[in-house]
Amino acid sequence: MSQPGPPPETSPSRSLDPWVAFGRLVAGVGLYGAGGWFLDRVLGTSFLLPLGIVGGAALGLYLVYASLRER
Amino acid sequence: MTIVGLAPFEDGFTPPGPGDFELPAVFAGVTKPMLQLVLAALLVVIFFWVVSRRGAMVPGKLQFAGEQAYTFVRNGIARDIIGSRDFMTFVPYLVALFFFILVNNLFGLVPLIQFPSFSRASFAYGLAALTWLLYNAVGIWRHGPLGYLKHQSVPGGVSGPILALIVPLELISNILVRPFTLALRLFANMFAGHLLLILFTLGGEYLLLHSDVAFYKPIGVIALLLAIAISFLELLVQFLQAYVFTLLTAMYVSGALAEEH
Repeated sequence: MSQPGPPPETSPSRSLDPWVAFGRLVAGVGLYGAGGWFLDRVLGTSFLLPLGIVGGAALGLYLVYASLRER
Repeated sequence: MTIVGLAPFEDGFTPPGPGDFELPAVFAGVTKPMLQLVLAALLVVIFFWVVSRRGAMVPGKLQFAGEQAYTFVRNGIARDIIGSRDFMTFVPYLVALFFFILVNNLFGLVPLIQFPSFSRASFAYGLAALTWLLYNAVGIWRHGPLGYLKHQSVPGGVSGPILALIVPLELISNILVRPFTLALRLFANMFAGHLLLILFTLGGEYLLLHSDVAFYKPIGVIALLLAIAISFLELLVQFLQAYVFTLLTAMYVSGALAEEH
């Protein structure tokens, strides 16, 4: 047993960058906030920007939840 | 706002701020942080050249140190995260990246240099751009352009019509936001740590030597002692940020290579 064999095959670890949650929230708020702002301007309304921001944050959170549930 | 009874800093203590990071050019527009980058690169290259030059079967002290340093990144970061099938391709980049950042961060505490290069945001963005190019190129090479686009935009665990809303979000998160969070974390940690150190040393020095109120002098001593304590904390942060940057680079590469979610 003095000769150690080749190291065992290691598979990539499934760890997740915790900042991915931050990235998804920022992306959600940014994307759907911008979409809401643009639609507000086109339609002359004023409720789509806050809706987009809150909805985007909710989608980002949901995405974090869904991808963690998968693991 | 001044409290009555306590003398304000009437003769002007100027607190340190972002302006303290704007160093004048040493020569021809070349600034000190630029020279530090070159110096750090040289130090890393020379260190690994010296320790691997002999390549003895029974390593001496120096070679042992070099092998320990290399193995730390090779096994501790690259193999653990990327997996034993693909990791060797990325070991050179990861080792170079880790020690380049580490040396640049340590410059924040090295006497006479005492400036962490990556407290200048543009340098951190440059490094993050390298990592961004690497993991996207690797992903495109492995999955093809369209396959990679799908790979980075369709997350696991989501199905149904909500996917239409999630796909652009995930793509932005993985392609656009990632390099910024990667760079910001390194930059902000180095910037804040250095600012804290200047504040405690300059403030302590001012209270101890330039203040007329006797009561302020012991406070100045306490501030200077705290500056030493913060230096040790910074040592930890400097190592940790080099580690985190390299670790995340490996994670992004691993994510780009992964067969599926």
